[in-house]
Amino acid sequence: MASSPSVAGLSSDHESSATEAAALHGHMPRLLVCVPSMPDEALQTFLEDLATVFRKDEVLIASPDLEEPEFAPSLPLTVFDATRIRSDWVLTASDFLAANELAQKHDAAQILLLGSDACSLPAVCIRQMADQIATGIDLAVPTYSMGAHDGLVTSALLYPLTRALFAVNVRFPLPMDAGMSRRMSDRMASVARRHAGSQPDALLWTVAEAATAGFRVKQVDAGATIPAPPSSSDFNALFASVAGGIFADIEAKAPFWQKARGLADAVPELRGASSRTSDSNDVPEELPGMVDAFRLAYKNLQELWSLALPPQSLLALKKLALSEPSAFAIGPALWARIVYDFALAYHLRTLNRGHLMGAFTPLYLAWVASTLRIANDDASAMAHREETAAAFEREKSYLVARWRWPDRFNP
Amino acid sequence: MGQQVEFALRQSMHRVLVVLVSFLPGLLAFLVAVILFAIIGAIFAIIVRRILLWIRFDERLSAGTPNASVSLFEWSSTQPPSRLIAGLLFWLCTLVGVAIGISAFGASYAVDSRMPIFLLPYLTHVIGAVLILFVGTVVARFLARSVLISATNAQLQYARILSVGVKWLVLVLAAAMALDHLRVGGSIVSLAFGILFGGIVLTLSLAVGLGSRDLVSRSIERTMERPSGPTEMTNPRPADTTPRSRLRHF
Repeated sequence: MASSPSVAGLSSDHESSATEAAALHGHMPRLLVCVPSMPDEALQTFLEDLATVFRKDEVLIASPDLEEPEFAPSLPLTVFDATRIRSDWVLTASDFLAANELAQKHDAAQILLLGSDACSLPAVCIRQMADQIATGIDLAVPTYSMGAHDGLVTSALLYPLTRALFAVNVRFPLPMDAGMSRRMSDRMASVARRHAGSQPDALLWTVAEAATAGFRVKQVDAGATIPAPPSSSDFNALFASVAGGIFADIEAKAPFWQKARGLADAVPELRGASSRTSDSNDVPEELPGMVDAFRLAYKNLQELWSLALPPQSLLALKKLALSEPSAFAIGPALWARIVYDFALAYHLRTLNRGHLMGAFTPLYLAWVASTLRIANDDASAMAHREETAAAFEREKSYLVARWRWPDRFNP
Repeated sequence: MGQQVEFALRQSMHRVLVVLVSFLPGLLAFLVAVILFAIIGAIFAIIVRRILLWIRFDERLSAGTPNASVSLFEWSSTQPPSRLIAGLLFWLCTLVGVAIGISAFGASYAVDSRMPIFLLPYLTHVIGAVLILFVGTVVARFLARSVLISATNAQLQYARILSVGVKWLVLVLAAAMALDHLRVGGSIVSLAFGILFGGIVLTLSLAVGLGSRDLVSRSIERTMERPSGPTEMTNPRPADTTPRSRLRHF
C-alpha cells in the first residue's frame, strides 16, 4: 500500500524519533523489520510480541500504513514505502528494493522482510531468523508446517529444482518471508532494479540468488501454516506465473547450475510443532475426475506436448492416459524429465511461453493425482517428496546435456 | 498463298522475339536488384543480430518474467526477439530491392509501353495481400492454440472443436481481406465470406450450446432453487484449491 500524504508527513516525525531513540542509546538500529499492511489492532499485537523478544534499541519496524499511533509503541517505527501491486502473497521486486533503500537509509545490518501472513508467524521464529542473520547467515527462510496435500507446487517443482540445480536443501524456496544480511539485501535490490521498470511485481528467487552468490542459507522452523494465496486469483494464472518464474530464473542462472556440484546437504525435513495430518477420506472420490481431466488433456494437447517432450516421455504419458485410476502413477524419474524438458522448451521458446505454461498445467495436475494415490499420510508424503527431489538430482545430467546440445538425437 | 502465310508467321515471330528481347534486360535488372539487396539485407541482419546479442537484448526484453507472454514478440513463438528483428530487416531490404527492380524494369522497358504503370501498383497490392495472409495465419494459429489450451484447462469437452472453429474464422477473414485487397471477385467474395463466416459461427454456437445444454439446465435449476445465493458457475475457483477438494497447491 503506498503511503498517503498524511503518512508521509508523519513519517519524517517517526523517522526522526527513531533516530533520536537510537542516538539516545548510542547506536543505530541493527535490525530492520519490514511488515505488510495490517489493521491497527493486529499491528499493535504484532509489535507487542516483537517487543518481548527484541531489545528495543536494536530493532526498527517499517510498516506501510502508519497512522498516529494511539498506543505507545515500545519499538521505533518508520514508514515502509513499498507498493504491493499484486497480492501481498509473495515478496516481489518492489518489496526487496524498498527494504534495501530503508536499510541503507538507516544503516541496518540485518533485514527481515515479512509477507502478508506476518501476524501468524510466531515472534520466536522472527527472533530465530534474526539470530541466524546475526551469526553470519546471509539468508534465513522459514519452514512452514504442512500436511500431506499441502504445498503441492513446492513439492512438485520448486523444492526439487532448487535442491537439484542450486544444491540448496530449502523446503520452501518461494519467497514469502525472508531474513537477509546487508549484502544479501544489496544483491536482491540489484536484481530487483532490473525488473523495477517493466515488472515491479516480478517474483525473485532468494534461495537461488544466494546460492549463485555463494552466500549461506538456513531454514528456520516457523511452526506456522503456509500463507495462502488470495482466493480471488485464478489457479491457472497463478501456476503459470510461479512455474514460469522459476523457469526464467533457471534460464538466467544457466552458467551456474551447469557446473558440476555436490548434492545438497541431506538436512532432514523440519517438522513444524503443529504439523497437520491430512484427512484423506475424499481422495478416492477425486482421483477418477482428475484422471479423466488428464485423459482429456492428453487427447487435446499431445501435439503441443510433442514439441517439448521426447518420444519416450510421450509414450509414458500415453500409457498413463490408458491406465486405470487405481494404477495412475507418474514415476519420479519421468516427472523430473518432464519438468526439465519444459524448462528447456521455455529457454528455447519452442512454444509461446504462455502456451507452454498452459500446456504444462495438466501435467502438473496429473502429478498431483498420482501423488494423491501414493501419499495419503504425512510419512508417505514426506517419503514421496524426498524421492521426487532425489530423482531431480539424478536426472540433472539429462538437463545439462539437453541444454548444451538441444538438437542432439534424444529418444 | 503459302508464301504469304509464311511471311505472316515470320513477321509475328519477329515481333514476339523483339518484345522478348526488349523485356529481358528489364527482367535481368529486376533480378540483379533483388539479389543484390537481399545480400545487403542478409549482411545487415547478421550485423544487427550480433549487436543485439552483444547487448543482451532478448534477456532485457523478457526481463525474466512469465508476463513476457503479453509482449508483442511472444506472438511469434519459436524465434527470439533479436532473430525476429534481424529477419524483419532482411525482408525490408529485399522489398526495397524489389521496388528498385520494378522501377529498373520499367525504365529499361519500351518507353511507349504502359505495362510498368499497371504492374507496379498491382505488385504492391500483391505484397499487401501476402502480408495480410501471413499475419492472418500467425494470428489464427496463436488464437487457436490459446483457445485449445484454455478450454482444455477448463475441462471443456468441445475444446478442439472450439479451437478449430476459431482458427478457420480467422483464416477465412484473412483470405477475404486479401482477395478484397487484390480486388478479385468483387461482391462474390464478400457474399461467399458472409455465408462461410456465418456458417462457422452458427456451427460453433450449436456445438457450444448443444454441448453445454445439460450444464446450463442444471445451472438454471440451481438458480431457481437458491434465488438469493451465488451459483457455482459465478463463484470463482479459489487459486489454492481444486473444486471439491482440500488440496493446497501453494
